[in-house]
Amino acid sequence: MQTPNAMGTARHRLRGRSSRRDFFARVSDGLHGAALATLFGGDLLSPGAAAAATGARRVYDLKVREPHFAPKAKSVIQFFMNGGPSQVDLFDPKPALAKYEGQPPGRDLANDIEFINEAGGFMPSPYRFAKHGQSGMEVSQILPHLSKQVDDIAFIRSMYTTHFNHEPAIFIMQGGRQFSNRPTIGSWVVYGLGSENQNLPAYVVLDDPKGLPVNHLQNWQSGWLPPVYQGTRVRSEGAPLLNLNPAEEYPAPVLDLARSLLARMDRNHRDDRPAQPELEARLMNYELAARMQMEASDALDVSQESESTREMYGLNDETTSSYGKRCLMARRLVERGVRLVQIYIEGQIWDNHSDLDKSLRYACGKTDQPIAALIRDLKRTGLFDQTLLVWGGEFGRLPLAQSRESGVAGRDHGPTGFTTWLAGAGVKGGTIHGATDEIGYRAVENRVSVHDLHATILHLLGMNHRDLVYSHDGRDERLTDEFPARVVNEILRG
Amino acid sequence: MRADPHFPSGRFVPIRSVVAAALSIACGSLAAQGPSAPLFETEIAPILQERCVACHGENSPQAGLDVRSKQSLLAGGVSGPALVPSAPLESLVLQKTASGAMPMGGEKLAPGEIDLIRHWIESGAPSRGDAEVSADAGQAGHVSPREILVTTIYVKCLLCHGRRRQEGGLDLRTRETALKGGVSGPAIVPGSPDQSLLIRRIVAEEMPPEEHQARLSYRPVTSDELDSMRRWISQGAHWDDETPVAVDPATDPKVSDTDREFWAFQSPTRPAVPSVHDRSRVRQPIDRFLLAKLEQNDLAFAPDAERLALMRRAYFDVTGLPPSPEEVEAYLADSRPDAYERLVDQLLESDRYGEHWGRRWLDAAGYADSEGQVDFDAVRPHAWRYRDWVIQALNADKPYDEFLMEQIAGDELSNYRAKPRPLDAEDSDRLVATGFLRMGPDGTYSVSQGFVAERMTVVADQLQILTSTVMGLTVACARCHDHKYDPIPTRDYYRMSAILRSSYDPYDWLSPNEADIGPDADWNESNSRLLAGAPKPDVDEASRYNAPIEEEAAGIAAELAALSAPLRRMLLDEKVPGLPNEVLVPAGRVLTDEAVERLADSPADASELDPAAVSKANALLDSYVKAKQRLRANPLVRALFDMGGEPTPVHILYRGEHRSPGPPVAPGVPSVLSAGLEPYELEPLPWSSGRRLALAKWLVQPNHPLTARVMVNRVWQHYFGRGIVPTAGNFGRTGSPPSHPELLDWLAVEFVERGWSLKSLHRLILTSTAYRQSSRSDEARQQRDLDNVLLSRFPMRRLDADAIRDSVLKVSQRLDLKPFGPADEIEVMDDGEVVVKDTQPGQRRSIFVQQRRSKPVTILESFDAPQLKPNCLQRTKSTVASQALQMMNSEMLRANSRYLAGRVIDEVGDDPAAQIERVYLAALSRPPSVDEQAGGTSTLAKMRDAWRRELDERTPMEPKRMKADWLALATFSHTVLNSAEFLYID
Repeated sequence: MQTPNAMGTARHRLRGRSSRRDFFARVSDGLHGAALATLFGGDLLSPGAAAAATGARRVYDLKVREPHFAPKAKSVIQFFMNGGPSQVDLFDPKPALAKYEGQPPGRDLANDIEFINEAGGFMPSPYRFAKHGQSGMEVSQILPHLSKQVDDIAFIRSMYTTHFNHEPAIFIMQGGRQFSNRPTIGSWVVYGLGSENQNLPAYVVLDDPKGLPVNHLQNWQSGWLPPVYQGTRVRSEGAPLLNLNPAEEYPAPVLDLARSLLARMDRNHRDDRPAQPELEARLMNYELAARMQMEASDALDVSQESESTREMYGLNDETTSSYGKRCLMARRLVERGVRLVQIYIEGQIWDNHSDLDKSLRYACGKTDQPIAALIRDLKRTGLFDQTLLVWGGEFGRLPLAQSRESGVAGRDHGPTGFTTWLAGAGVKGGTIHGATDEIGYRAVENRVSVHDLHATILHLLGMNHRDLVYSHDGRDERLTDEFPARVVNEILRG
Repeated sequence: MRADPHFPSGRFVPIRSVVAAALSIACGSLAAQGPSAPLFETEIAPILQERCVACHGENSPQAGLDVRSKQSLLAGGVSGPALVPSAPLESLVLQKTASGAMPMGGEKLAPGEIDLIRHWIESGAPSRGDAEVSADAGQAGHVSPREILVTTIYVKCLLCHGRRRQEGGLDLRTRETALKGGVSGPAIVPGSPDQSLLIRRIVAEEMPPEEHQARLSYRPVTSDELDSMRRWISQGAHWDDETPVAVDPATDPKVSDTDREFWAFQSPTRPAVPSVHDRSRVRQPIDRFLLAKLEQNDLAFAPDAERLALMRRAYFDVTGLPPSPEEVEAYLADSRPDAYERLVDQLLESDRYGEHWGRRWLDAAGYADSEGQVDFDAVRPHAWRYRDWVIQALNADKPYDEFLMEQIAGDELSNYRAKPRPLDAEDSDRLVATGFLRMGPDGTYSVSQGFVAERMTVVADQLQILTSTVMGLTVACARCHDHKYDPIPTRDYYRMSAILRSSYDPYDWLSPNEADIGPDADWNESNSRLLAGAPKPDVDEASRYNAPIEEEAAGIAAELAALSAPLRRMLLDEKVPGLPNEVLVPAGRVLTDEAVERLADSPADASELDPAAVSKANALLDSYVKAKQRLRANPLVRALFDMGGEPTPVHILYRGEHRSPGPPVAPGVPSVLSAGLEPYELEPLPWSSGRRLALAKWLVQPNHPLTARVMVNRVWQHYFGRGIVPTAGNFGRTGSPPSHPELLDWLAVEFVERGWSLKSLHRLILTSTAYRQSSRSDEARQQRDLDNVLLSRFPMRRLDADAIRDSVLKVSQRLDLKPFGPADEIEVMDDGEVVVKDTQPGQRRSIFVQQRRSKPVTILESFDAPQLKPNCLQRTKSTVASQALQMMNSEMLRANSRYLAGRVIDEVGDDPAAQIERVYLAALSRPPSVDEQAGGTSTLAKMRDAWRRELDERTPMEPKRMKADWLALATFSHTVLNSAEFLYID
């Protein structure tokens, strides 16, 4: 515990323990409590323990669980850039493209093109890149705010994935394989670590009111992990949680009467049925729901923030206010111990098949200032050192032009080389890792697979990807499956 | 840049050399790093020498793999190449060591060592001998015919030059037909790639045709593939003529008799029924098995459950619904000694039984009303026929062996293609039954997800559904590697996969939902997996319904044609003057639908010529489209059917990767399942390959080790919350062993001897003491039988998702019991909640609600309705806050509570005591106790007061007092529906 964030870690552990202790104190009356303790106390993390518990009944919950080793990050905020942002126009300048401008691709590249009928020639980026910060990292002119934070950020310019279409590629990014049945990384994280705050969902999804990304609700599914680990969709407009409040609440005296009647019925029911731990769990569950009604409303109320903070996130500007609000909510949530927050953006906003300049500027305009503001705000509040930020889409884009019959050219999906960035807890800012080839088509140097990225995120949270195991259908399943994933140590602080 | 002679024209100029140049620059820079790129001899060999060579060295290299040189790693062993330079993920030497699978039984390699190996592979796996290797691998390198065929010709050519089509007269399935060629001459001239039309057409970019590649999901032949093809032809263009691997269990080197001795792979035999001390608690032989074990542990069955508790339990377990107040009262009034047994019979005869137990089978089959996988999540408009077939089969107590036969091979049971259409009920039903193998996710209608890899995933999901549901085996692992603990080798996985190949051929794929099929469509012409095989009544009804609409539409079309003919003439004269009339209006041809639509596409042009006519045409077109929209879809069957002819051969695929084919295999069943069984025997039928029929026959042998055991275990699991084998889909070595092996075998044998009757099995369980005991636990039971494995009491259980929703509807008298037919629609509310659309008189049971993989109904999802990806044999039970929020705050619960209160007032009037009694009877299937009645009356009175005060401050339309009393009872009812007693079954 020598690291600068040791205090945070220690506090987090202490809080976890004490809430566990409270929990057991309340139910540790003889056998009944012992049974509950067995149900709640199983250590899911090591394969040994999982094997030992095979066949035993278990209640899956969100209590804090110890990581495998001291974590760097306590929480994760993931900017899920659904659609596939163009690396050569944002983070990976390729001047050589000018040389090949207009030349069509050969038959080999054609095998990686989704809209094969619309493939045009190579297309240089319309944007200027400039060096920024002390690190001198190059960023496109259409990300002016993020450019100022490059010293906090590590770019992985050599990401690659294995499918060129959204659905499978998103499944890969979320769950490690292109099939739709697997738990997402968020589910794995809260399965492994539980949550610091039992009154809020552990894994929060802030989706865009303008529309869900491809794969919809499956983006935060728990797959074959128990449903308790699936992401909870929190809306940034209207009632934040589904059924958090009824359409019209009963008058207060009626509600009080109903609550005490329910409590009386359920206690009598339980007392009549000794040694049934499920009933105790259910009683606590109703209490939790009641507490959640209070705390969620408070946590998501951004009107409590100062005017200058709201301004910084762009809440007063129509372009940035929607994404800015979600970024600000994300800070308020991780502040309260929520383990993982994913921020999505409307539809497939980065899916710039046509009119690259217009559509890419639109996506950058909405997100650039809010993301930079969140980084600054996390630094200001001291949360930056315990929060991991991950930015990226399901793939990048091809260095080719894609043109439909009419209209201005865009770019088609590019799975073979793209950029993802990380910042915050444990990440060495101002780093560039890996490289694509001369034309920004294929990652060639220090290639980083999606599994490597997953292993790295788990590592920063104090978990070894090989040891985070769930036994399903007689098979030990992992986020990284049997792929030889490697933690990208090069972008981590010592 | 030099022009590539192979690409004389067209748009594919040699930019690939740009990429190659870029790559070589990058590689060059890597190589220039020198010391950081490890060399095989100095850095990798020592690790392998120390940790791997003992087994993978000179003496008897395990799995045929020798790791002592880079060449031998490249050559690999039985699992394929161990090294793929620059592709660490594909290199087994890294996969196995990184995952800890290797060294087998030894300590894992150190992280540093694994990193080094990975870095070496990423850097292109340099070794000192590289110069020689590359010289070797040049023109002279032998090309495996299997690889050319499977990875290139099957994928990129067979669609048009294979079983269904032989474009230009060319069939590329065999060497003979390829050499013979088509109308343009021989496709292949062995030894002369440049004279082979195959190569010339590819080089000229005429093949595979560019215009279809997007729509039919293929891509150009890559330069590597082209190079290999040239060398293959130079080397004689040999075909993959290996004999498919068939397995004789007696001499099988992969599976031993020791493997076969595992209990689950041996036929069950009827065990002796044990004796017990307390014979008074024995109602059925199954009680003896359980009681004997309880007594060994100083335990006994719990006392019999209270009468009403048992009744409620039986209602839910058999029908998934609570009894109505009248049914409770009738049962209370039945004083005959066998009242319970009579109740059981009555429940098993109820149509609700098939709906409730059908749901469990549909979970196992992975049933859904949408395709899943792709974002669009296309609806399956015809899936419901299979759902209805399952419900009807269960209600009719169709023997389980027939139930399976029809689902696995219904299409092969008779030559339905030779029968007149519409088909009779029997043939149609059998086709519908094969929907069992069409229920997994299938997104291959999407052109960007219709490639061979995705098609193979569809097949893999179906195989997983089939094996887990029917055989209790988890074979998915064997798709990629030999099963670590279970003796299911990869070979056997692909042999089973070959059983499906005659109906699911990844190289000759049919679209899952292409539906433009008339009721008499040619069986062999369709490109769809939907069949025009609906039964006569459905077809008749649809045509009866559609006939007047068709007539109306035809009338409009004729009018439109008359109106548009001169218009079209004018338009064409304007655009392409001078065309002769015969070209424009082919004799006798009526305007097609497509032409009508096309004409409508260009009104802008036409309207300049004759605005009035165009506006009239538009109006006509509008009513034409509207009429067409009113048409009912042709009744079609979502079936799996043998496609006829010889399918492509099935190869073992190393790591499940379709680009790494191994030896071909013949259809077959796992070698480990052979003791005492008739073998899988393929008898080709005149109308079908017989592959699945042979499987079905093999499975329903009375002494099959798994078929009966797996099913009785699942039935048991649904009653007792836990199977005798707790891992319902995994009876293998990695599953959990049975808690009562003799009981399992006794049940399996009994089940078969009772003619595979499921209802008989249900009756046996329902009338046992084990089932009839109380769920009350105590310290002794808790201490000696914590998880209730011994069944020392009945396991108290939460209702499952469907039962919760259906019960809320039934209790509030909003349940519409109309069965069958197309699924009821769902809708997504503004807040994202997915709800069922309301109709009169309410809503139907959850099994009749549209089940879209991407849009699960929220209340069902929050109570653990499974995501069927692909299927579910055992639902989980979670306890999460969203459930409480759903029950407390959702409009579904609140509105139905108001309905419940309304009906109760209709039935019993104003009297609070009578109201409370009625609510208890409806929701909890029992009258309230004296205390509950008193407490309830007092609470209800206070609720009435509170509502009256509230309404006094408003001006409602309804009489305040009347409304307050109704709302108070609604609030009271809502509370009862939230109680643990409503959700948990004693």
